[in-house]
Amino acid sequence: MTEGWRRRAFVSLWATAVAAAGIAGVAVLRAREAKPATHSVTIDATRFQPARLVVHPGDTIVWVNKDVIPHTATAKGGFDSKVLAPGASWRLTVRVKGATDYACLFHPAMTGRVDAE
Amino acid sequence: MIHRALIFTALVALPAAAGAQAVTDPQIASIVVTANQVDIDAGKLAAERSTNAEIKKFGTLMVTDHTGVNKAAVELVTRLKVTPQDNPTSQSLKAGGDKNLAHLKTLSGAAFDKAYVAQEVAYHTAVLEAVDKTLIPNASNADLKALLVKVRPAFVAHLEHAKKIQASLGGAHE
Repeated sequence: MTEGWRRRAFVSLWATAVAAAGIAGVAVLRAREAKPATHSVTIDATRFQPARLVVHPGDTIVWVNKDVIPHTATAKGGFDSKVLAPGASWRLTVRVKGATDYACLFHPAMTGRVDAE
Repeated sequence: MIHRALIFTALVALPAAAGAQAVTDPQIASIVVTANQVDIDAGKLAAERSTNAEIKKFGTLMVTDHTGVNKAAVELVTRLKVTPQDNPTSQSLKAGGDKNLAHLKTLSGAAFDKAYVAQEVAYHTAVLEAVDKTLIPNASNADLKALLVKVRPAFVAHLEHAKKIQASLGGAHE
């Protein structure tokens, strides 16, 4: 981003705010509605709950291991919580759109999916 | 086949004895702790003795998971002030486990792997049967019952995992 572009963008924004405060107000309101959310996935009884999560880029997901044995939340070629001991948790901030399937490395039948829309 | 007969003897004791009578919470506590310990001991031996990377990993997983289950079980019964009580089922589990370990110690290489995995398939099958038919239905304390329900899916995952390894060894029907 060049300095000139930034200045032009700033001037343009300022003009918009002054000239059309109403429209600017609506834009601010929309920006607030799209505030990043935090989602929680509980690991218990050798299951991810919920097994499917719909999120938006910028959102954070927290996996919490409430089971009595260690698990992982691992996507092939993607995110990896590493070992989550009983009681441990792990946070991931979603950056891009797309679907990601993941599983526990220790219990491969234990699967989950994140849909970033 | 000698080792097949031994495995059979060691395992049949569990569901037969467990199904024979209603069990109390102190007896269930003892059965749970013994059952986990038997599989921890076999897992340790497999992690140490097997030359197959998958089996070493599986053995280590059995040690980790069954240790976790036992830790939770001991914490719970301590909180409930339940003293685990020895009973015919826990005794036959212990005897079967010891016999199995002694047998596995006489084996090495592919023979060890095959026998260990066959034992794990049979063992988790028997444990699930006991959990479903005896332990969960007889548990009177709600927290004890909840713990059994909570750990059951891990035993199912172990059974499926062991079956997969068994199929890869080509030993499922031998």
